[in-house]
Amino acid sequence: MNPAELFKLAYSALSERKLRSGLTVLMVIIGAALMTSLNGLGGGMNHFISDQLGTLGANLIIVLPSQPLATMGPPQNTQKITINEYTVRTISRMEGVSQAVPFIRGAANLKSGNRELAASIVGMDQSRLRYVIPKISLASGSYVSNFDSVGMVVGTEISFPPGESTVFAPQGKMLIMEIAKTETVGQTQKVVTKSKSVQVKGVLNKLGNMNADGIVFMSLDAADTFFEQGGEYTGIYVITKDPEHNDKVEKQIRDRFGKNIGVTTPKAIAETIQSILSTFNAFISSIASVSMFVGAVGIITTLFTAVIERTKEIGLLKALGFNSLTVLLMFLTESVTIGVVGGMLGVLMGIGGAYLLIRVMPFNFGGGGIRPVFIPSDLIYVAILSLVLSCVAGLYPAWRASRLSPLIALRKE
Amino acid sequence: MTETMEDLAIETIDLRKTFQFGDVAVPALRGVNLKVRRGEYVSIVGPSGSGKSTILNMLGALDRPTEGRILIDRIDITKLSDWTLAAFRNRKIGFVFQSFNLIPRSTALRNVELPAMVSGVPAKIRKERAKYLLEMVGLGDKLNRKPNFMSGGEQQRVAIARALVNKPAFILADEPTGNLDSKTSSEIAELLCSINREQKATIVMVTHNPELANETDRILHLRDGVVEKETAGVWGDQPSNGERGTREAYPGDSD
Repeated sequence: MNPAELFKLAYSALSERKLRSGLTVLMVIIGAALMTSLNGLGGGMNHFISDQLGTLGANLIIVLPSQPLATMGPPQNTQKITINEYTVRTISRMEGVSQAVPFIRGAANLKSGNRELAASIVGMDQSRLRYVIPKISLASGSYVSNFDSVGMVVGTEISFPPGESTVFAPQGKMLIMEIAKTETVGQTQKVVTKSKSVQVKGVLNKLGNMNADGIVFMSLDAADTFFEQGGEYTGIYVITKDPEHNDKVEKQIRDRFGKNIGVTTPKAIAETIQSILSTFNAFISSIASVSMFVGAVGIITTLFTAVIERTKEIGLLKALGFNSLTVLLMFLTESVTIGVVGGMLGVLMGIGGAYLLIRVMPFNFGGGGIRPVFIPSDLIYVAILSLVLSCVAGLYPAWRASRLSPLIALRKE
Repeated sequence: MTETMEDLAIETIDLRKTFQFGDVAVPALRGVNLKVRRGEYVSIVGPSGSGKSTILNMLGALDRPTEGRILIDRIDITKLSDWTLAAFRNRKIGFVFQSFNLIPRSTALRNVELPAMVSGVPAKIRKERAKYLLEMVGLGDKLNRKPNFMSGGEQQRVAIARALVNKPAFILADEPTGNLDSKTSSEIAELLCSINREQKATIVMVTHNPELANETDRILHLRDGVVEKETAGVWGDQPSNGERGTREAYPGDSD
């Protein structure tokens, strides 16, 4: 008997018990959809993280006064050191180091008329920006020299904030930069606002990284003065001669400054986050695969019921000349039909489900950050897994059916 | 003699079947020798426990004898594997059951097509044949009706059409009117007779209904696992086969 005929028989048997078949298909759909959407979300998160960190150069090491990632667990007993010109000189003389670029980072409000925007301010030598962010380029204007105390270069999201209808900081625009700080007068402390006039000298092209696109760059000296750092830097961007030297340079810095300094690379940050994520993903997908197994058990139950209900029919088919293999294949086809239909619908619904999930996720950075990423091979994997599981699930009931004797057909009712 | 041999649709030689229940061996058939010529309409009657069902299973190639041989179309089916036996049943035996045994979700046409589908007859040809047979049994207007929407008599007609679809060596009917009222019974009996005469179909019918048995050419009386005697039915003198002569009418099965 040809496969098309087998499928017709299977289909008519399944559609005779629409509700039961439908519910079994639903079980498979849930498993497949869960797996698909979680895979998509996991892929989306990985993509997001590598996107965020990928804008930074591969031969970049970030040096900060303390462990940057030790935000959880007990506080570490480290003596914070001051990063200053001396630190920069020490590091720049190390083997494998191409440059050491100090930076000062702070947060301030930018005001233009009655509009106000919170921005992250980075003061550094802008001629060396391209070593830190290789893809950086100017859309208009120019970079700010090291002696410029009012000029700044802004990212696209500062120049034209997303979601707003008019440009906020075009090239040439004068803005007021403000921070709140505490001032001690005698024994009392009070909060005062410190402000400074600044001018947009250049606007950057979009980098596709929300952190980089939301930064305002100014000269190191201007930031030092405005944030009253007194020669103390937030950190140093260490550019190695080659990414291969990263480990060696990192070791030298650690040997020299010990635990008082935090050394990290964008790659290391990405790896840390991704390893946490992949553990989380593995946990979630194991739950999803359990639901796929539940679907398979559902198929077994449904088929067993069908075999028992249709015992007499199976006997008849055998009397009419179906051999054991044909009976086996007939029931396997029913099982595989459930698996394939469930798997396909599950994959489609999983794709839809991922987009729904992302809307309700708490860590979605305002809705625009993470998009589900579906890798075709993952989708095919889920579909094939449904197929294989349904095949395996159908095997035993189908085998039982194939063992039935044709004598049953003659049994009197 | 050779000519007679060639004419045989069924022959059993010293057919024996013993069922084993633990240590107890229960003989159901104790050496049955019977011959059914091509084109003959034969009934097998007997009280319960006579071995009727057992011989039915043997002739239907559904079960294997303990001893002896069954020749259908001169093929010894006792030597065939289960696999070959399935194909053999499909092509050589047309079953008609007491409880009709139709697939409830399939139309009359699909039910009739089923055995031809198994033997791989192309869809177009088998559809035409199924349609022809359904028209022949008087259901030309109910091709696409499902069994649940048909009367018992109609269902049995579908079953008879199904039995004929692969042009089998013989039709094996098991109490074909057992589930029908008397009027429908006689219609089905008539249909079987006309199929025997017009289609030259060989029919073996197992029944305990004496009236029905009487309408066949020959009645084999089974008792205690052997053919006790053989009588002619009322229609036995109406030759469907030139060889047979006039027989006396048999008043009916005493069972």
